[in-house]
Amino acid sequence: MIAAFDQAAGWLQEALLLPMLFGLGLMEWEDVSFGWALFAVYGAAQVSVTFAICVPLEQWRPVEQWANGRAVLVDVFYTLISRIGILPLVTFVAFYKLQVMLNGAIADQGWVPPTLERLIPALLGHQVVTFILYIIILDFADYWKHRLSHVFDWWYALHAVHHAQRQMTFWSDDRNHLLDDIIGFIWQTAIALLIGIPPMQFPLLILVLRFLESLSHANARLSFGWLGERLLVSPRFHRAHHGLTAAGYDSLNYGAILPWWDMLFRTADFNRSFVATGDPTAEEALATGSYIAQHSASLRRMVRELTR
Amino acid sequence: MRRLFLLLFSLALPAAAHAAGAVLVMNSGEASLSVIDMSTRQELRRIPVLREPHHTMLTPDRKELLVGDTVGNEVLVFDPNSFELKRRIPIADPYQIGFSPDAKYFVVNALARAQVDLYDPVTFKLIKRFPLKSMPSHMAFAPDSSAVFITLQGTAKLAAIDLKALTVRWIADTGPAPAGVLWNRGKLLVANMGSDDVWVLDPATGKTERKFRTGKGAHQLFPSPDGKLIYVNNRIESTAVVLDSTTLNQIRSYKLPGGPDDIEFAPDGKVWFTLRFVHKTAVLDPATGSIETISVGRSPHGIFLNSKATPK
Ligand SMILES: [Zn+2]
Ligand SMILES: [Zn+2]
Repeated sequence: MIAAFDQAAGWLQEALLLPMLFGLGLMEWEDVSFGWALFAVYGAAQVSVTFAICVPLEQWRPVEQWANGRAVLVDVFYTLISRIGILPLVTFVAFYKLQVMLNGAIADQGWVPPTLERLIPALLGHQVVTFILYIIILDFADYWKHRLSHVFDWWYALHAVHHAQRQMTFWSDDRNHLLDDIIGFIWQTAIALLIGIPPMQFPLLILVLRFLESLSHANARLSFGWLGERLLVSPRFHRAHHGLTAAGYDSLNYGAILPWWDMLFRTADFNRSFVATGDPTAEEALATGSYIAQHSASLRRMVRELTR
Repeated sequence: MRRLFLLLFSLALPAAAHAAGAVLVMNSGEASLSVIDMSTRQELRRIPVLREPHHTMLTPDRKELLVGDTVGNEVLVFDPNSFELKRRIPIADPYQIGFSPDAKYFVVNALARAQVDLYDPVTFKLIKRFPLKSMPSHMAFAPDSSAVFITLQGTAKLAAIDLKALTVRWIADTGPAPAGVLWNRGKLLVANMGSDDVWVLDPATGKTERKFRTGKGAHQLFPSPDGKLIYVNNRIESTAVVLDSTTLNQIRSYKLPGGPDDIEFAPDGKVWFTLRFVHKTAVLDPATGSIETISVGRSPHGIFLNSKATPK
């Protein structure tokens, strides 16, 4: 299966991407573009797998039923541009020069960004263990990024896009403000400078993790059981985070993949069962507006918060 | 998951039997090196590395083989006969690596960091850093070690660094997205990946004297072991063009689908290529034009061939 994905990525690059770069006079990106081709192919696989599993699940045990599911459509759009890689491509290109400057400046100070394996040499050669350790650390960092985005009002103004959805489905995972995504990108760059990021060694594992994140938003009555819910974030657990009373400052269940950090820092609540979702403080444009309307409304809210 | 098991399984396998002649391929897209038996054309094993291995170079005494891992920010030192990992050297973004012919400098092109670094070739201590915009890609040395020439892929330039004065001597224009650069009979050849041609430059001034077409996406230039031929890989056209190194006239052309990149010449006359997009290594018989392929890891880039190697 891996081989088929890799061949597809190779084909995408050779048949589509390179002639396009050549035509646009952007051939200097040819080496980098393979990473993007891989990302796009695995992203498409993620969306397909998630779709194939979550659609029947949502039909089988829906938490909510809506007469009109049109508000979901914009989430489909969010998902496609972020998983198939248009957004990552834009942020990458936009930030490439910044990264080069930053890396160069740091290298001038004699700093060679380490990797987890160099900090803990016992990990060298144990790629599976290292990979899992990276996932745990990155998830920990993600917990704090998410938690802080609820603490600062200006930041929550952006994150409110994610919370405003009252018709939450597996498509809602990628419903994030572009600026929020950029902050996430900078967050990850900082971590990469400290401990590196894992290579594309286990793309199938990444696919499984991304699937879990989508699943946790599914409109499905699904819990992983007492123990399971404490090991991995379940749809029931994450739905509580999207609950009407959990929007904004006083929230809970921030974890994306592992609920451990919520348990450790006492923000976990395993009792709320399949609550209604949405953010009562958000203006209507954030919930049912178009992609553009959601973006501009939350930007305005951010400016209001910053100038208050 | 299946892959995970395969990986665990392959790690648990006992070391492969001795081989006569082996090839090391840098799988840049999946953080590993493939060891291929030259005679059976079988992949013997995969060596895990940190992040993104791209290019490889023998030390001047030919006793050690260096592999640059760009994102891992380290150079791996291998025994070129047993392919055993001996040590790791922390070095920032080692994309293209090379030693000056007089063995005084170890030069590193840090493509993602837009800098060219000169290191001591024994201690690997940084001697001087040249910030060069942008994307320093390939390098060629003057045979007398007076200069190193660097293609700047992002800004369509060729930079000449004076290795005596340790200054930038000149920066000249090239075609779009220049990649390979080669010193050939007192001139510099630059392959322009963003177009379809190779430019001939005067190494003293950087002035372009001549241009000739090789194919769309002209990428890298390799002299044959006897010095009579030059192979040029064309990335978009997926061809390898063979030039007469004296006249620069095209002698032959081979179709190599799958993104031909680096080349090694085997003593039996065969030419080994990495094919980036189909994740294979190709063995070309220049006499017949026939091609045999061997599956390796994702996006194979650098390649090292040693017909006397006995990998353990
Ligand atoms: Zn939240
Ligand atoms: Zn969510």
